[in-house]
Amino acid sequence: MASKMLWATRAASYLRISVVHRGFSTVLKDLKYADSHEWVKVNGTAATIGITDHAQDHLGDVVYVELPEVGASVKQGDSFGAVESVKATSDVNSPVSGKVVEVNEELSNSPALVNSSPYKDGWIIKVEMNDSGELKNLMDSEEYSKFCEEEDSKH
Amino acid sequence: MRGPLKLEVWKMGFVNYLEALKLQEKLVSDRKLCRIPDTLLSLQHPPTYTLGKRRTDHNLLIPESELKNIGAELHYTQRGGDITFHGPHQAILYPIISLREMGLGARNYVEKLESTMIELSSLYGVKACAGKKCETGVWVGERKIGAIGVRISSGITSHGLAFNIDPELEYFKHIVPCGITDKEVTSLRRETSTALPSEEVIQEQLISCFARLFGYNTVVQKENPSILSDHEEIA
Repeated sequence: MASKMLWATRAASYLRISVVHRGFSTVLKDLKYADSHEWVKVNGTAATIGITDHAQDHLGDVVYVELPEVGASVKQGDSFGAVESVKATSDVNSPVSGKVVEVNEELSNSPALVNSSPYKDGWIIKVEMNDSGELKNLMDSEEYSKFCEEEDSKH
Repeated sequence: MRGPLKLEVWKMGFVNYLEALKLQEKLVSDRKLCRIPDTLLSLQHPPTYTLGKRRTDHNLLIPESELKNIGAELHYTQRGGDITFHGPHQAILYPIISLREMGLGARNYVEKLESTMIELSSLYGVKACAGKKCETGVWVGERKIGAIGVRISSGITSHGLAFNIDPELEYFKHIVPCGITDKEVTSLRRETSTALPSEEVIQEQLISCFARLFGYNTVVQKENPSILSDHEEIA
């Protein structure tokens, strides 16, 4: 566990991202988070979206990812696709509204990328946002960490 | 921690698959809006083959046109999992519950569904266990006694589990059940030497196992549950 964290911290500083370790799930500092456990990385009006480490851990091994069509509209809080794991299909919701400009085709061949690299190679869609103001409805990394802890303590 | 958890059980008897599906869609929507508590449908279906979101219809071994001749329907659904068969003498539970309120993820939810069927089996001296990786479901040795296929939408569940009390196992010969070749399907009747009570009793026990494993402290039965009555109900 210690060596894993050391590696992660080294990798994080190499990639110049800040990492918060909340026990078992990783939360990245520069991202925004929805309460349905999706993350969004914003660069101007371009948004990259995926599911969080907490989400992939609670799902189990992902065996299938249903992707939207490029050009499809997405709305904050609405489902745009789904992932299947342990005989359960779980809807994935968009943290922002806009138009899908790219989908991660790699996930059709390697759905497990969602588990192994939820914030990087396991990204799901890229969206051109039409309302950056919506970002204020999302959580930052600290709020999201706390949210996960509260959820996990329910049972 | 958590407040008191209430479960409302609908004992529905024999229900056509599509009607049950439409009812679930309405209940999921109601549950999302907190109009209803966690709800559990307990029922059986007429002979029906169903496919999951991945549409693995290559696992149906007879032509679709033949299905009518054997008295079965085929339906495509949004649930997880592969092809399966539902029919008389198979106990089905469709929980419409809020995983978010419980703080449960998909994996834990499915494990609890497996435990529900394992516990029921043990009441009859049958030692069942959960499937290994990629083989979600409940097994007695190499034989499958219970199947799971679930949909989770905004944290609300639909579809659920199917436990073989004593279904006509011949129907399973027309599919590669759950996409797993070279494994048999079995039933409680086949695995136990205990005399079985009525199916109503077994279904009631299945509901009890579910309620206990999920920590419900209040279980109420809905009076006169029907497909139609709630569509007409004024909220």
